[in-house]
Amino acid sequence: MWVEKYRPKSTSEMVGNEEARMVVGLWLREWRPGKKSMLLVGPPGTGKTTMVTLLAKESGTNMIELNASDVRTKERLEARIGEATMTVSLFGERSLIFLDEVDGLLGRADYGGVEFIKDAVKVTQNPVIMAANDPDADEIKKLASSCITVRFKPPPPREVEMYLRRIAQEEGLVRTADEFRNFVARSGGDLRHAINLMQSGGGADGAGSKDVSSTVSQSLNAFFDAGDAASALSALRALSLSPAEKLRELRTCIVKAELQPDGLAAALEVLSRADIIMGEIGVTREWRLLRYLDTLLAQELFPILRGKRLRYVSEDLPFPVLLRIWNDSKKIREISVRYAQRSWTSGASARTQDLPFLFELCNEKAFRERLERVLDLDETYDKFLQKEAGR
Amino acid sequence: MKILVGGWFTLPRLGRDDFLLLMRQGVKYDKAMGFKMDSETDLESAVRTIRSATREEVELTVRCLVCGKEACEGCPYSALCDRRKVSSMCLCADHSPEKGVYGLYVKALSGTIVS
Repeated sequence: MWVEKYRPKSTSEMVGNEEARMVVGLWLREWRPGKKSMLLVGPPGTGKTTMVTLLAKESGTNMIELNASDVRTKERLEARIGEATMTVSLFGERSLIFLDEVDGLLGRADYGGVEFIKDAVKVTQNPVIMAANDPDADEIKKLASSCITVRFKPPPPREVEMYLRRIAQEEGLVRTADEFRNFVARSGGDLRHAINLMQSGGGADGAGSKDVSSTVSQSLNAFFDAGDAASALSALRALSLSPAEKLRELRTCIVKAELQPDGLAAALEVLSRADIIMGEIGVTREWRLLRYLDTLLAQELFPILRGKRLRYVSEDLPFPVLLRIWNDSKKIREISVRYAQRSWTSGASARTQDLPFLFELCNEKAFRERLERVLDLDETYDKFLQKEAGR
Repeated sequence: MKILVGGWFTLPRLGRDDFLLLMRQGVKYDKAMGFKMDSETDLESAVRTIRSATREEVELTVRCLVCGKEACEGCPYSALCDRRKVSSMCLCADHSPEKGVYGLYVKALSGTIVS
């Protein structure tokens, strides 16, 4: 897989979050006991763990890593890192302590883990870096007040294209500017997804692709053709996509295949259940449970699709359509955020419960204008609201 | 109002509450230089605060990692790119991806993270 082949080997080879990387590097260089610890926040896949691992390697620092969602109680945390925070080597060398996914730990305040970490970072003799996915969790906000918080974000689209072009050049792959932009737009800012898209596209017409052993299409076809659930599980595990992307690709293949209504309903039911479980994992921040998603799909979805001769079909929307979808979803998000602030509701409730009715009412010009005034929307939203009202 | 992420900018006099809110959102302040937003800033919240305090639309731009120039002008991805949600540096038109600038990109960062 190209995502593995082109995995960065040093911090300077990573893409995006340049300033954040410099801040973390400088912090580690200058860290002395008494200085604040570091908290990295950002969505999964933005390079927090990779950055810390490479940083420790490059600076020759011994790293003690702990996934906080696997060790929750104060006693276990104390046993694993208590001593490490308080001791340095015989020659005065310090170790870097890395607590990954601390939001998984903070969800269980009753276990005392949070208090332990808060106290430990105040007196630690070694630098401590923590990583969390959700910056808005209350406990993370509390923890952030005693740390330096650095935000990791997806790289800008232009940098994603730069990295794709670099890979294309190394692989001898010829792609047009529009094709590169299409990969970038479809990836939604996820570099790994963009690379997978380019690899599966490169493999489809064979244009210069050398490493097609386990592209998205091949992994999914291997899943559909598997002889038993164990082989289906291996095929899914070889698929280097995020769980949400896996579900999306599977849904596209299932919907586009000519399945009998019963089979289609059963398959979509499994996907729906998997989606609900993913949502619950997000809410409870039990990220480690994501690893069982492949098992669920292999055990429940595979028997339904077995022998149905499904093939991989890409979700191939033309670039202008993708652009329109992207722009519209940005507008809906913005409207729902502003509406939620005004109405003391959550953004999600605003989007799912209130906006559909508001859009209906936007057929009336007077209402539309009032809504635009109240939510402070500029003229670009007027056309959008008219279009939504006419749906 | 156009704000370059990573650069200093000035704001009209803010109320105490808005100023404190911006500080909590990770905006830096220096009496001589003004305000600055960087990788420690919660850009989405800070932009919202500035917009409501000044009643002006805020447009964020980012700088080019290779040459330091403003990077967003003429960018083909401007419709796709929400600059509050992507990292704070990019590439300008002079160092656009089609010019094969990955080597320059890595060179610009070498030695700045680990030295």
